[in-house]
Amino acid sequence: MRNLRIGLLLGLRQIQRANKWTTLLIIFVMMLTFLNLIAVSGVLVGLIEGAERAVRAESLGDLIITSKDGEEQILETEAIVRELSAYPEIASFSVRHRSGAVLEANYKERRNLTAERDTASVTVTGIDPLQEDIFSNLSKNILEGEYIDPTQEGYILIGAFYIDRYAEQFGDIFDSLEGIRPDDTVRMTVGNISKEFIVKGIVQSKVDEVSLNTYIPEREFRRVFGRIDRNADQIVIKVTPQITEASLKQSLVASGLDSFAKIQTYDEAKPKFITDIKNTMNLLGRFIGSIGIVVASITIFIIIFINAISRRQQIGILKGIGIERRALEIAYVIQAAFYALAGSLLGALFTYGFLIGYFERNPIKFPFSDGILVAPPEETFIRFIILFIVTLIAGLLPAWLISRQNTLNSILGRK
Amino acid sequence: MDIIIAKNIKRTFGQGALTTHVLKGIDITVAEGEFVAIMGKSGAGKSTLMYQLSVLDEPSAGTITIDGTNVVALSEPERTAFRLNTLGYIFQNYALVPDLSAAENVMLPLLMRGLAWEEAKQSARSIIDSVGMEEKYDNLPAELSGGEQQRISIARALVGKPKILFADEPTANLDSVSGQQVIDLMTALNRESGQTIVMVTHEREYAITCNRIIHMEDGLIVHEEQLR
Repeated sequence: MRNLRIGLLLGLRQIQRANKWTTLLIIFVMMLTFLNLIAVSGVLVGLIEGAERAVRAESLGDLIITSKDGEEQILETEAIVRELSAYPEIASFSVRHRSGAVLEANYKERRNLTAERDTASVTVTGIDPLQEDIFSNLSKNILEGEYIDPTQEGYILIGAFYIDRYAEQFGDIFDSLEGIRPDDTVRMTVGNISKEFIVKGIVQSKVDEVSLNTYIPEREFRRVFGRIDRNADQIVIKVTPQITEASLKQSLVASGLDSFAKIQTYDEAKPKFITDIKNTMNLLGRFIGSIGIVVASITIFIIIFINAISRRQQIGILKGIGIERRALEIAYVIQAAFYALAGSLLGALFTYGFLIGYFERNPIKFPFSDGILVAPPEETFIRFIILFIVTLIAGLLPAWLISRQNTLNSILGRK
Repeated sequence: MDIIIAKNIKRTFGQGALTTHVLKGIDITVAEGEFVAIMGKSGAGKSTLMYQLSVLDEPSAGTITIDGTNVVALSEPERTAFRLNTLGYIFQNYALVPDLSAAENVMLPLLMRGLAWEEAKQSARSIIDSVGMEEKYDNLPAELSGGEQQRISIARALVGKPKILFADEPTANLDSVSGQQVIDLMTALNRESGQTIVMVTHEREYAITCNRIIHMEDGLIVHEEQLR
């Protein structure tokens, strides 16, 4: 306690009397270290988080209803839809019918019947255009042309990655159609049934399920695919902020809907690899951040070492008059703690007061996602504790080295 | 009664052929309430002797008993505690902590002894007053003259009421007026309060105010002058 009191007095007074610009510079370095620790992994995780948010917003929503294992479609879809419509906690939902088909383009201009046909195997999704637009804001993703009008028939939206000029980056990974533009005609073939559609628009999103999809009105889907039972393949739901997806799921299960379909929250339905990638990015961020910690600890070590070595005689005299080594070590540890605290506090203020909001408003445009900055407070706190402890050790070590030297040698400046 | 009894004190530095014998077997006693000056040319060993007596260094051989304690046998933490509780120091270069105010410098030994802040502050102010430095409590050392800094240094040495006060050339960095003031202060302390003082000095004019002068030469005591 006595040592702590003396250490506090000496440490705080040293900070108080130190050159202000030097102190600011050290705090700035500590702030950068803190940001490096938080922001680098935050951006790496945010890259995946941004992609996940987009998938949630434009494709899967908060709750996903799919067919039960062993069933081809969701049973009693109409009854489920009626039930869903009664929940005020549901912000929006979309009923989707989905199947595969072959889409052919440029067949009218094809002169040589032996030449390869311009076809692509595509996913076709039958939607209620209004319902889907409310749910996923699909119309905002129109790249060329227009969104499908629910009153019109014979129109199709095609995902950009099925069109060669947008799919170049993927090489031959999947089929694409040549030169398709809005108002062109394409032919959809399912088994022996073919139907022509006019391309109403081309949709593109950073969510692959949108860019690698084609959309037609649900009525026409059922006609083309011969679905007479009105059962859907997927119902996606977004909840209001008043309820969590887990509690809504509980309510739906309690209503018995799970006997007709599989009900999953987004977290349950999302592929495991997304979690794995997030964890990997986090690990990578920690690795990069740990380099920052090493640099910061070396910086603090050098600062405290220079400070202590330049006060070696003073340290010797203080020991000479009976001040214990521990008190002198505490004085330097307090200085290191001050730098770490001030730098981290400024870093946290900057992160939570500016950076996170800034990246929310101006996400980093990665090719496959709009990256945000993810910095959960509990993780930030853990990293701060790590930085703090490392800094304390970096401050203690030089103080320990100098204060353990022979008292008289320190006083006389002897080696 | 002798408060310091040192027998056959030797201090060597280096090893083998490079060994330097700085103290070559010194016997010395200091009585309680005595004011002793140690004089000698540079290299005579006077400061080294004082470092042994003031428990800042350990002799290579010999025994030192201070106030009944064999200080040579003490561990490093025990030596630190002994210095805190029994001895006071005045250094040539004042040795004040530059970041602390005059009062805080003087408070340090008291805080180390466990006194409460306010109690330590009152004692510090009182002793600062007694060395004639009223109004300077809150000044930093850099804001004080050399003489003023040495007075604060004396106040720091005295605040814990040490049994023995050691002064290592306390006037060396001072002008003659400030130097005389410091010596007057120490003499008054000795005569009025019976403070035991051991002082190393080059200057005879200051040494003659002491009770006794010990003359050293080449690591040995060559002569002692009993003045009063």
